[in-house]
Amino acid sequence: MIGNDLVDLRQAATESNWQRKGYLGKIYTPEEQELILNAAEPSVMVWLLWTMKEAGYKVLNRITAIRSYSPQSFICCGLITNGSQATAVVCHDERRIYIKSEISSQMIHSTATLNKQDLEELTLSYMDNSADYRADFNRSSRGYFLTKTSSGLPLIIHGPTGRKLIASVSHHGKYAAIVYSDSLLSAG
Amino acid sequence: MDKKELITELKTIVTPYAQDPEALDNIGEDTDFIKDLKINSANLVDVVLDVEEKFGIEIDNDSMAKMLSVKAAIEIIEDKLAGVDRK
Repeated sequence: MIGNDLVDLRQAATESNWQRKGYLGKIYTPEEQELILNAAEPSVMVWLLWTMKEAGYKVLNRITAIRSYSPQSFICCGLITNGSQATAVVCHDERRIYIKSEISSQMIHSTATLNKQDLEELTLSYMDNSADYRADFNRSSRGYFLTKTSSGLPLIIHGPTGRKLIASVSHHGKYAAIVYSDSLLSAG
Repeated sequence: MDKKELITELKTIVTPYAQDPEALDNIGEDTDFIKDLKINSANLVDVVLDVEEKFGIEIDNDSMAKMLSVKAAIEIIEDKLAGVDRK
């Protein structure tokens, strides 16, 4: 299973005031809050951890179909940042969800998978977030077509083979990101 | 405060975060904050904090987990105001 989440940093700066009283405490564990407050760029850490939690939630939601809003119960552990890359594990109850992130001055994007090795086989496409980003993707990704399952979840069809692949899509502000893996087949 | 008044209060709270003006105009008990109003999930925290401030209540993590719709928000506000801890 796969999930992703993208934050446009400029958009987030105008939409959200994470320094608002009580904000961090609703989303982040005390350990995560410490990471944020000790970070060289606290706002980058706020959104890095947020995308990790959201991507992790999306994986779980697609497995269980349960909706809930409890970002604090998706706990980021073992965060390693290396320049523009980051990895972590998001723990939720008994489950471990593996995360890989990309950080730029414009945006942060995190991908989450249930199996660690799936993270290595991902295809990630960044697009401009327009009304036509699906059409843009289909034009630029030879043979891969982005569509939806009957229940409205993102699905990629590989034209030449007819294989259906599980996909995840996230868009925010100026950017959209589409992730899928040739190893993750969809039943839908 | 009756349900209609609560919905009016909630509408005022969610207005700055709602990205679907039509759904906002038609807000009712069955309105979903994310699916209908298209509130960004990072802004749902702001809704929770605004509700806490407006009603002078504290929304614990278990209640926040359920607060995805107008209906759920009303239940949580009513319970907290009545001092009931519904599990």
